[in-house]
Amino acid sequence: MSQRTGTPPAVGNRKPSRLGRLGRAQNIPYLLLGIALLLFPILDSNRSQIDVAAFAGVWVLLALGLNIVVGYAGLLDLGYAAFFAIGSYAFAILASGQFNIHISFWILLFASAFIAAMFGVLLGAPTLRLRGDYLAIVTLGFGEIVPRVFRNLTPITGGVNGIVGVDQPKLPAVFGWSGNFGFNPIPYYYLILGVIVLCLFLINNLRNSRLGRAWMAIREDEVAAAATGINTVTTKLLAFALGASFSGFAGTYYASKLFIVSPESFSFQAVSVVVLVMVVLGGMGSMRGVIVGALLIYFIQSYVLIQLPGWIVSATTALNIDFLTKLDIGSYVQRSNFLIFGIILAGIMLLRPQGLLPSAQRKVELEGGTSDEAVADLGSA
Amino acid sequence: MPILETRGLTKRFGGLVAVNSVDISVEQGEIFAMIGPNGAGKTTLFNLVAGLYKPTSGQILFNGRSIYPVRDFWRTYSPPFAAYYMVLDSIRRGLGLGPMPLGLKPHAVTALGVARTFQNIRLFSYMTALENVMVGEHPRMHAKVWDSLLRTPFARREEHKVRERARELLRFVGLERQADQYARNLPYGFQRRLEIARALGTAPKLLMLDEPAAGFNPQEKNELMQLIQDIRSQGITVFLIEHDMKVVMEVSERIVVLDYGEKIAEGPPQKVRTDPRVIEAYLGKSA
Ligand SMILES: Nc1ncnc2c1ncn2[C@@H]1O[C@H](COP(=O)(O)OP(=O)(O)O)[C@@H](O)[C@H]1O
Ligand SMILES: [Mg+2]
Repeated sequence: MSQRTGTPPAVGNRKPSRLGRLGRAQNIPYLLLGIALLLFPILDSNRSQIDVAAFAGVWVLLALGLNIVVGYAGLLDLGYAAFFAIGSYAFAILASGQFNIHISFWILLFASAFIAAMFGVLLGAPTLRLRGDYLAIVTLGFGEIVPRVFRNLTPITGGVNGIVGVDQPKLPAVFGWSGNFGFNPIPYYYLILGVIVLCLFLINNLRNSRLGRAWMAIREDEVAAAATGINTVTTKLLAFALGASFSGFAGTYYASKLFIVSPESFSFQAVSVVVLVMVVLGGMGSMRGVIVGALLIYFIQSYVLIQLPGWIVSATTALNIDFLTKLDIGSYVQRSNFLIFGIILAGIMLLRPQGLLPSAQRKVELEGGTSDEAVADLGSA
Repeated sequence: MPILETRGLTKRFGGLVAVNSVDISVEQGEIFAMIGPNGAGKTTLFNLVAGLYKPTSGQILFNGRSIYPVRDFWRTYSPPFAAYYMVLDSIRRGLGLGPMPLGLKPHAVTALGVARTFQNIRLFSYMTALENVMVGEHPRMHAKVWDSLLRTPFARREEHKVRERARELLRFVGLERQADQYARNLPYGFQRRLEIARALGTAPKLLMLDEPAAGFNPQEKNELMQLIQDIRSQGITVFLIEHDMKVVMEVSERIVVLDYGEKIAEGPPQKVRTDPRVIEAYLGKSA
């Protein structure tokens, strides 16, 4: 065992200083992107666009969190909205006039992530023996139950009206800025940017860690994972807990930014499905992919789908064909928002079934899958 | 004291008795083989030891400790569960129902030092060879959740150590060049070896190999037997299932023969080879 055969040193083995690593060529696009994101509110004085960007960040956080559960651990969770709701309500109850409790945003940001994680364990525990479709159905149930509980627990949650007048973050005054976030989107933008960077740091650490490998092993083969000494129960619960904690972050931020929480914000169609679509379309298990997926879907939903009827109306008027204008396609389009959304999604998935920026594993998986099928087809022909 | 011992171990699947009151004892440091025709219950016995199946009756001891049924509740479970099980156990015994049928979970058995490979290879297909072995090292790592999340200096050092050890193990089984390939892309023979490396990653005291030479040509079989001897010379006890009598005769010190779930012979290769019941079981059925 002592004779060393000439193995080339693997890429991961080089160890330059941390600063040196930042300067590597492949990181330059990321550095530029980082600078652009930091400067964006300064260069762009349009506040509503900054506002949109700040909300987009919520979806990025949610997608990153769900990616842990679905992409890393392979647990198909259709009830992710539940944890988002729990994070939002936890914050709204503990920082509003509802009970006249006003705990600091900065404490609650982490506290409600912790509360969401606890519920992740609580709701995850009964599902541990389930797999695939069965797991999906049970989590779907939880995702529906939780917002309903909030809607009906009127004395605590304000029922259908929700809780209005949620506290907003405060910082010490600096450079002539009062430190109050108020309705100014710029501090919110930087806040979500900071939270996302923190989460990226944590998730990146997880990927190549004892825990991250254990998740992937469970995703690949649960029996083999157990045979290599992985406690599948605690490892799966940790995936639920950590995934939920990210949506706890998102929920706190969302509640304070929106100034209000209401049960309608956390429905299956509005959150669980959309976030899952972001993850799958972006590329399951790939951080970059999931971020791109989240931004793209958010853009389609909050911009393209809303503008589309207007575009069509102006296009038909510009064409000036009487018959087209009379058809009033614009209003049809407006009413078939979901249909168009679905068509766009189906189109993207047909073109790139592996997701926009797939993880390395997914790439091999799909390549392998198609060639296996090809062989099978030949065999049966 | 034997490293592994089963007493009256029985497993039924409905009406079928897959393992029927089998007593075996594997001694520390030996290469012990189990042979028998297809369907004799060999894999089932492995699964019972590994905690994948729960025995219908009987006892399994590892290093003298009863891993089925579990006896030392306080050492095995957290206090509330231990207390609960102890009460149930004494009630059951009082009623003459026998001990609580509690077994260790597969991961707990592995943590005690029993590693195994599977008859139909079960690698993590979409992880690299190196990652597969690193997963194997999971039970001997100590990084906690926050270490993983924050990549603490401890986690970093441990990660480095684990990676080096995984490379070492890949070299040991002859896969150093394949470290960065996906497990599913490896040729069949390499996959078998990788599975052994992954099992060795858990730092086992007892290594259970389920037909590791299946589908090998004679030369590959020889190389594998060499590897098994190397593993034993590191102080790891090897418990081996093998179909091919000849292979087993060369490498193992003692052999047990199963047929229809029952132990029909046991002893050194020379003795087993000439046992009339073994000859009948093999010649009478081999296709
Ligand atoms: N999970 C199971 N459920 C039902 N029957 C099983 C199961 N596992 C094994 N058996 C049966 O038990 C018998 C022994 O199988 P096995 O242990 O795989 O044999 P061997 O490994 O010696 O070829 C076979 O008849 C098999 O069909
Ligand atoms: Mg078998």
